[in-house]
Amino acid sequence: MSSWVHLLSLDLAVVGLAALVMLLDALASLRGRTIGALVVAGLVGVLIASFQIDVTGTTPHGAYVSDAWVLFFKRIFLCAAILGVLGSIEWLDRHAPKRQAEYYALLLFSLVGMLLLPGARDWVLLVVAFELMGVPLYVLAAYAKNDTTPGEPKLAAEAALKLFVTGAASSAFTFFGLALLVGLSGSTSIAQGAQMSPLATVGLMLVIAGFGFKLGAVPFHFWVPDTYQGAPTPFVAFLSVAPKAGGLAALSVILMSTGWVGAKELWAPAIVVISIASMAVGNLFALPQTDARRLLGFSGIAQIGYVLIALAAATEQGLAMALFFIAAYVFTNLGLFLVVHAAAQDMGGHGIAEMSGLSRRSPWLGGALLVFLLSLAGIPFVIGFWAKLFVFLEAYRAGLVVPVIVGIVLAVVGLFYYLSVARQTFMAEGKSDEKIHAGAPLSAAIAVCLLAVVVLGLWPGPLVESANAAAAAFLGGR
Amino acid sequence: MNVPSEHLLYLAAGLFAIGVLGFLIRRNVIVVLMCIELMLNAANLTFLAASRQHSTAQAANLDGPVFAIFVILVAACEAAVGLALIIALFRLKQSVEADSLSEMKG
Repeated sequence: MSSWVHLLSLDLAVVGLAALVMLLDALASLRGRTIGALVVAGLVGVLIASFQIDVTGTTPHGAYVSDAWVLFFKRIFLCAAILGVLGSIEWLDRHAPKRQAEYYALLLFSLVGMLLLPGARDWVLLVVAFELMGVPLYVLAAYAKNDTTPGEPKLAAEAALKLFVTGAASSAFTFFGLALLVGLSGSTSIAQGAQMSPLATVGLMLVIAGFGFKLGAVPFHFWVPDTYQGAPTPFVAFLSVAPKAGGLAALSVILMSTGWVGAKELWAPAIVVISIASMAVGNLFALPQTDARRLLGFSGIAQIGYVLIALAAATEQGLAMALFFIAAYVFTNLGLFLVVHAAAQDMGGHGIAEMSGLSRRSPWLGGALLVFLLSLAGIPFVIGFWAKLFVFLEAYRAGLVVPVIVGIVLAVVGLFYYLSVARQTFMAEGKSDEKIHAGAPLSAAIAVCLLAVVVLGLWPGPLVESANAAAAAFLGGR
Repeated sequence: MNVPSEHLLYLAAGLFAIGVLGFLIRRNVIVVLMCIELMLNAANLTFLAASRQHSTAQAANLDGPVFAIFVILVAACEAAVGLALIIALFRLKQSVEADSLSEMKG
């Protein structure tokens, strides 16, 4: 064993788990639920291991670095994957009973790509990890190509193709931009940067455009609402959070590394423009939506706008708060999508109108929905409030006054549609009073998200500290 | 017989522009996929041309060719998944025109 293989032990464990899942599927006739439980157990094991074993260090030639920054992201990705798998188990059992193991294997491969992203310090490793994250997602989006909720048209193929076409085009942009940057600097090290020239500017903008796609930031957001609506909802719960955290990791690694942080006056305005546009488009287009998934798609675009303000601040504190925000967003949005999924299964559709009377049919799902909505809206004492507050504060300290004012005004607009969903579930009369029973794994996933949102909302200190430590490790060791 | 590396870069930029244009205006999803491949190959050509510029008679710069191999690998994965998705769409709609991708709007 080379001396640096242990840096990748968490990633390799996930690769091993994916291989095991595929082998078990081929050799043993296990039930899909058993495989799902195995995947969850394996991932929880890896998550615990990330606290127990020391995986910090740098590979020879510095292509891969593992530090507090990388571990922070890895834990976020692992949490998202665990919750995403938990939420999918029943849906898979019901809708694709013969193809369950592949779903888990693909999700795990995508997870491996994510785990490799934040530590990559070489362009080749970064883009290959990014593609490894992306390609399995195209397949998973089409997983329900032959069945959907009764009464809704078959949308999965269209949803996946829209994701694929935008994704493939954006990676072509990334590669061409990289060809220019690597060609100019003559090195594939990200930290090397390049002499600023018009051509290097074009290259950098193409790269930002390519990574902006996975974040779902404007103007690369066209796939978001359609894919969210057409792809299987438990998968969208994962898609709506983990790749966005991955995109944020990749963008921070590029922009905040030594080679580029000096060119801040060049990229920071671009990020500010993308951020304001995302907040505006996300919040305003969410208003007229009647489908909960589309509404959450646009709300996700707006949330990414808030994160990007913190990134544009280009300070250590700003970066730390971007990390805090994305961690808060992962638990909130994942939980919210899973509640929508649980409700839609029994209420006959994903429309907001169909959600009426949810609080009466299942008080705990209704309550969870309310908490998640309040967190996204940024109401005090749930985690989303601190996330927004810290992001705005740090951006203000860095002198970004205009985006902060725009952000606050649009957050008030956001309040309107988040609360209109809440009103529908609590005030409106439902069609029936029959109780809703979400299955045990799905309920467990929602409960974990709910717990994280409430506990971290009341007691955000530890998460803030670890986000600070992560940002400090990243910027200190760059 | 020595083509200047600049000419290769101009050719690559031209190919990339054609790819982007085709991606934006063509309606057939398979042709769109081909345009994406064209963009990726323009990137490959740029990698190789730039690497050639950095090479000297004594030491060849291999970053470009290595990167190009990875790009080819990624392009192959994307093509496999993309064509599978197009087949799924065709089975559903008997068409691969972009107009058949319009169930969802708003």
